[in-house]
Amino acid sequence: MTEKVNLKWNGQDIQAEKGSNLLKAALDNGIEVAHYCYHAGLSIAGVCRMCMVEQDGVPRSFPSCNATCSEGMVVRNDTPKIKAAVESTLQFHLLNHPLDCPVCDQAGECGLQDYYMTHGKYDSQMIDKKVHKEKVQDIGKNVMLDAERCILCSRCTRFTEEVTKTNELGILNRGDHAEITVNENLKNDYAQNLVDICPVGALTSKDFRFKQRVWFLKEVPTTCIGCETGCSVKVSQNKNGSYRVKPVYDHDVNGHWMCDDGRNIYKHVSSPTRLSNASENINNLFVPVDELGVQAKVRGLKAKYILSTGLTVQEYADFFSNIKGSKAEVALYTLPSQGPEFDGILRRGDKNANLRGAKAAFEQAGFDSTQVGLDKVLNSISSNDVVYVVIPEILYNEDHFNTLINKILKAAVRIALTPGETLSTLRAFNYLLPVPSFLEKNGEIINFQGSKRKLTAGLSYGETSKDVSYYGKWVNV
Amino acid sequence: MSTTETFEFNAKNMTTYKEYLTRYDDVESALLPVLHLAQEQNGWLPEHVVSYISKLMNIPEIKIKGVISFYDMFYDVPVARNIVHVCTNITCSMFGGREIYQGLLTHFDTGYLTPTRDGRISLQKMECLGACELAPCMRVNNDFVGNLDLTSAIQKLEELP
Amino acid sequence: MKETANNKDYALLSYHHIPGVHNLEIFERAGGYETMKACFEKDPEAIKEEVKLSGLRGRGGAGFATGVKWGFFTKDRKAQKYLLCNADESEPGTFKDRYLVEKNPHILIEGMIISAWALATQKGYIYIRGEFYQQAVILERAIKEAYAKGYLGKNILGKGFDFDLYVHRGAGAYICGEETGMISSLEGKKGQPKLKPPFPAIKGYRGLPTMVNNVESLAAIPWIMKFGAAAYKQWGTEKSPGTKLFSISGDVNKPGVIEVPLSTSLKDIIEIHCGGMRNGNKLKAVIPGGSSAPVFNAEDAYTVKMDYEDVAAKGSMLGSGAIIVLDETRNMGDVLKWTLEFYHHESCGQCTPCREGTGWLESVFKRRDKGLAHKADIDLLDRTANSMRGQTICALADAAAMPTQGMIKVFRQELEAYVVAPIKK
Repeated sequence: MTEKVNLKWNGQDIQAEKGSNLLKAALDNGIEVAHYCYHAGLSIAGVCRMCMVEQDGVPRSFPSCNATCSEGMVVRNDTPKIKAAVESTLQFHLLNHPLDCPVCDQAGECGLQDYYMTHGKYDSQMIDKKVHKEKVQDIGKNVMLDAERCILCSRCTRFTEEVTKTNELGILNRGDHAEITVNENLKNDYAQNLVDICPVGALTSKDFRFKQRVWFLKEVPTTCIGCETGCSVKVSQNKNGSYRVKPVYDHDVNGHWMCDDGRNIYKHVSSPTRLSNASENINNLFVPVDELGVQAKVRGLKAKYILSTGLTVQEYADFFSNIKGSKAEVALYTLPSQGPEFDGILRRGDKNANLRGAKAAFEQAGFDSTQVGLDKVLNSISSNDVVYVVIPEILYNEDHFNTLINKILKAAVRIALTPGETLSTLRAFNYLLPVPSFLEKNGEIINFQGSKRKLTAGLSYGETSKDVSYYGKWVNV
Repeated sequence: MSTTETFEFNAKNMTTYKEYLTRYDDVESALLPVLHLAQEQNGWLPEHVVSYISKLMNIPEIKIKGVISFYDMFYDVPVARNIVHVCTNITCSMFGGREIYQGLLTHFDTGYLTPTRDGRISLQKMECLGACELAPCMRVNNDFVGNLDLTSAIQKLEELP
Repeated sequence: MKETANNKDYALLSYHHIPGVHNLEIFERAGGYETMKACFEKDPEAIKEEVKLSGLRGRGGAGFATGVKWGFFTKDRKAQKYLLCNADESEPGTFKDRYLVEKNPHILIEGMIISAWALATQKGYIYIRGEFYQQAVILERAIKEAYAKGYLGKNILGKGFDFDLYVHRGAGAYICGEETGMISSLEGKKGQPKLKPPFPAIKGYRGLPTMVNNVESLAAIPWIMKFGAAAYKQWGTEKSPGTKLFSISGDVNKPGVIEVPLSTSLKDIIEIHCGGMRNGNKLKAVIPGGSSAPVFNAEDAYTVKMDYEDVAAKGSMLGSGAIIVLDETRNMGDVLKWTLEFYHHESCGQCTPCREGTGWLESVFKRRDKGLAHKADIDLLDRTANSMRGQTICALADAAAMPTQGMIKVFRQELEAYVVAPIKK
């Protein structure tokens, strides 16, 4: 156990770990402290000078981000002295800022705007020419840079130096000519985090740019299904769709970050080509069909299910309970590895979000979850069978999946259960039935560490009342 | 910048480089002396020199560029073979340092750091050079020249090769 | 430049009258390196104690007691640590260290070896500003001589003590004179100051304990060790003991570097040591401690004693001992404008109040150049300066704010007239 210490912040009693960061302690205790350069995932820069505090018995004020917690510490940032200092410092931050909020995507979640409400002077004293810098640069990896909006907090340069160690960004020149500079376009696989950590609108997402005002969006906390890491994320949505994925701090799994691949996991959910109705393949055109009609076609056929590794623990359990006592055969399609086993930061080559949950469920139900099991089922397929294939929510390697498809062609009826779009691959199926995407269901998946990760249902864009387990019930029709 | 331009330390400077490394307990610490050395050899520090040093010392390019941009005496633009620092700080300005700087720019028909057309001289307005007893003063390459007026400054610079 | 006769008896320039004293042989013939040899026979702790007793205050500008600073340093003699000599001397008006080392590099080297022995540092660097190229050459040559004599390197004089010393040239950035900026620069980075705590004595260069001392402080060590703390305290005051180098420039007949006991009156410095005012003009003002020191009017200048406490009592600071003398023909608006241009140019750009504030201070003068300035802008200048104070990692913001506020305090009317005056084309 780490030792806890008691301290007072503006008279409020707070507890923190001894020796831990003072600013973090305040923030963790729900106290709002203005800050730009501090980020718990990065080294301390101490340059924005917004989190200044006074401490009893210490003659000079100091930034709380560069202080550690000790027993009996009494600090304040609500004294007239500190308030005046923070007001002035915010004014200094805004001095050369273009104030182009109406066309800035950060508006609504901008540190400058936020703190101006509480610390603003509301009386401009600036009539001088501002220092102008380059406005819009595409710096690669879906990131746009507006150097003029930058307040030189150095979070982004610390990120590329300390986290990705790719050093694409730096600050050149001295004084008020100091400027974020791109040595080479972004090449790291975590570049979108730069957009998240930028406290102002200097780094914005090309993907998200001009799409939505943030105040129209609701956030759904969930888990990334992009690989077996299972990062905590939140997805921003409105009734028209999802717009972005951002990481949520999770000490045990992803810390502060997520990879760029994970940023795209939502795209199929509200895609225009997302399968929303039961459909029949008529000459490679998918035409809406009554589900009961499909059910009629499988009557009397032997059911063979090929599940994906991306279902929830509950879905697997419900599915196996629904087929219990039947002669159905069940196998598991495991996505092939992509890239290195682990990139040293977060991303893993194993793209199966809930392989562990799937294996446990198979084992408990007495089915073989291995490739051997899959081959056995595939080799047994005959014209007396109906094959249900659960389409992996994110299909990294279509060619690999097609080899599986090629082996089910003998079946009398081939049904795809898909949470995604109507891909050309799906032409091999007679029927497509929609199932909820990861964003439309509550449940749990088990990540590489064996820990349970939560999926949360947000808004629905597809058919969500019937998940994969529901089609388990068809086994006995 | 043409991509065919290359740079590498000549044999003498390579020896010096290796000697520099022995002075410090890590490679990065040798960066300032190495940049001085590279600039001595190449005149200024363009991208291809940065990239050579980056590979040589295993220091990210952006860090080297940051360092070059931070210090007034490292040049990321081409400069002439003679560098002239004209002090425009308090004491020198009291005695006409600014007028001398402006006068030299006019006389040599050039701007801040821009090499004169004959490639002889780059003039750089500098902060206090630490030779205020010689005010107004300038540094011509590595030497202080003091107690100037515009005429003597021009005369001194016209003597440069 | 001529030394005043009594320099020979003082601590720092006592060898300066000897021709060729930059050569080790001549320096030694005059008694150089004797103290170093004697110190090797002494307990390092006793050396530290003597320095502490001498009351020597850091000569770079802050005036923090050297002995006390040494006391913060680890006593573990085996631990890897560094001695860093600050020869970056860039505070406008300051040129004393240049003058000291270009004539007598060995006094600094001797001081550093004694300090290294006391502090048990295995490596030392003299960080010298890039502009002082010839001075760096002189120091390197002197270091080479010292190595040849076995005063530097491994197992110095068979004492089982190693100390390597190198010259490290800066490249033109004022902020490298700040000790943590200097450490960043020595590490091969931009010379940006580091957050304190930790202090360099605990975690400095490469994260290891590092003692940073000014040239003049280190050069005073041999004298203190030779004649003792008590002798050193014959000069100056209780709180400002010893002698000090002053760099005097501006409107005096004989600008230059002098060594005088601390607490010498500024009037004597101007009138006796510097030959009085140039052209017989009247004294108007003095910047007593480098460009960041608030200005004195003639009255304060003629009554102040040049020690840490009296200069502070009159609202300024002794700083690096750079005295800029201004006569009645000078316009204080010009002086402040030049000063603020300097700080704007030299802000390292890390901390927002300094990065933006130094530019804003100067902008009032840019308004003037466009004929847009008002008298009230002097208030804005004052307020802006005030809000920069005590807000940043290092003292550069304060160094810009203090002379601004000082100038406004003493010469407000002149500044108001200056900013609204039509510009001569």
